Amino acid sequence: MSDAGISLREASFSYGDLPVLLETSLDVPRGSAFVVTGDNGVGKSTLLYVCAGLLPAASGHVLLDGHEPEPRRPSALFQSGVRCGFVFQNGGLLSNQSALSNVTLALSYHADILGLDADAIDRRARDALGEARVAQTDMHSLPAHLSFGVRKRIALARALALEPNFVFFDDPDTGLDATTLSLFHDILLRYRDDPAVTMVVATNHALLLRRLGVQPLELRGGELLDHND
Amino acid sequence: MRRTLPYDPRSQLAPRSGWVALLGRRTIYAWRGYRALWTTLSDALGSVKTPGESARTTARRIALAQIQFTGVQAVTLVSLIAIFIGATIIIQTNVLAPGTPADMLGKILVAVVPRELAPLITAIVVAGRSGTAIATEIGNMRANSEVLALASLGIDPPRFIVLPRIIATVVSVLVLTVYFSVVAILGGYVVSLFITSTSFGALRAGFAQALGPADLLLFLLKGVGLGAIVGWLSCHYGLQVKSSPTEVPQQASRAVMLSLFGCVAYNTLVTACFYWIVGAPIQGTGPF
Repeated sequence: MSDAGISLREASFSYGDLPVLLETSLDVPRGSAFVVTGDNGVGKSTLLYVCAGLLPAASGHVLLDGHEPEPRRPSALFQSGVRCGFVFQNGGLLSNQSALSNVTLALSYHADILGLDADAIDRRARDALGEARVAQTDMHSLPAHLSFGVRKRIALARALALEPNFVFFDDPDTGLDATTLSLFHDILLRYRDDPAVTMVVATNHALLLRRLGVQPLELRGGELLDHND
Repeated sequence: MRRTLPYDPRSQLAPRSGWVALLGRRTIYAWRGYRALWTTLSDALGSVKTPGESARTTARRIALAQIQFTGVQAVTLVSLIAIFIGATIIIQTNVLAPGTPADMLGKILVAVVPRELAPLITAIVVAGRSGTAIATEIGNMRANSEVLALASLGIDPPRFIVLPRIIATVVSVLVLTVYFSVVAILGGYVVSLFITSTSFGALRAGFAQALGPADLLLFLLKGVGLGAIVGWLSCHYGLQVKSSPTEVPQQASRAVMLSLFGCVAYNTLVTACFYWIVGAPIQGTGPF
């Protein structure tokens, strides 16, 4: 069992013959934060997907809390106690479900594991949506009827509702107004300081990098470069 | 050559080479395709054993919603097609063999409607109507990162997406096939009242003689098999969308075309086996 929250061991990944990760090794200790930067299209999102076990590494190993993810059966990781909150670049909301249903979905699916009944699921989802400042009037709207910023806040609420021990933020502060930006930054700082949460952030925004105060690594040519070295 | 990210489909284009390399590449490509096809089905069937009562309840709810769309909402279309098919068979029989006895009419209806046309036409309707919808919906989910989002929440895509839809298409095709048969036979009977002096009693006697216990097995084999083919291929090709919305109509079209081909081929195979084992449907004619 690895002590690292997230551990990549010589993990490689490519799209066809386009390499994204070249035998990359990385340890993100439990309860700490890792920030990755890099040019647009260099593969930051893919690195996050591999770290979260959503895409399988072509070679090497990925461990979350000591457990190897099974991309074809992600529930196995959840049953092992790993709770991932992933805020996608574009929200990644289910387009045929309302904002509230998007947040309750995972809670209902894992209700027996989480020990939640219908009332507790509804309460927890509404609390999370409230914390992400999603208005009551938007809770029953489909994502297509909501603005980009609201969709991103719902995605944040979906992650918050799971009370995760691993959070992944893919370009969290792109296309947001000042209020939503401040909300995201506050939550990111809270997770950074939470010893129970391991956080991975992909961003290029100088303000966020400054506020997080975490030395980032740059992804370039399939390798993670530390400019401190 | 400078390579670009993210995923560039042009990078998948094979370089020019000889026919041996081309054959090898095609073989590998086909093999990967068949393996992926099988993986979609085996993952969905394997997910039945995955623990989690809440997950099971969620999958059941999705299957019921899909049955509502695939089965219940297709009743009107299936009814109309069944009436016209039943009427056409009686008219054709009357034109080609005037004065056919009522019990023979009953046997012809049984041989043609419940054994052949009902399962096949129902599967074609379901493939055209719901297969397209399923492949398009799943393809859009892939293009919008919704499938990745489900996985990030610890939700198994085979259990949440594929299994409920396969169950729904199986149930829908099975039930609609029974319904189609009843409506087509009644439609045929109503038409026969106008063009022949058929009594319902004589027609029913023909049904009773022609229908046997083996027909129940044939019904089940065809309903379950054809429904599974439509659900399975529609889900599989929907999941083959990588990242671009332009792939969605291509995969949806592929899903429907291959579903139709699969249904016709499966139907022929089961029919051939049935008559080989059971014998001729109408006395005096051989199976082959």
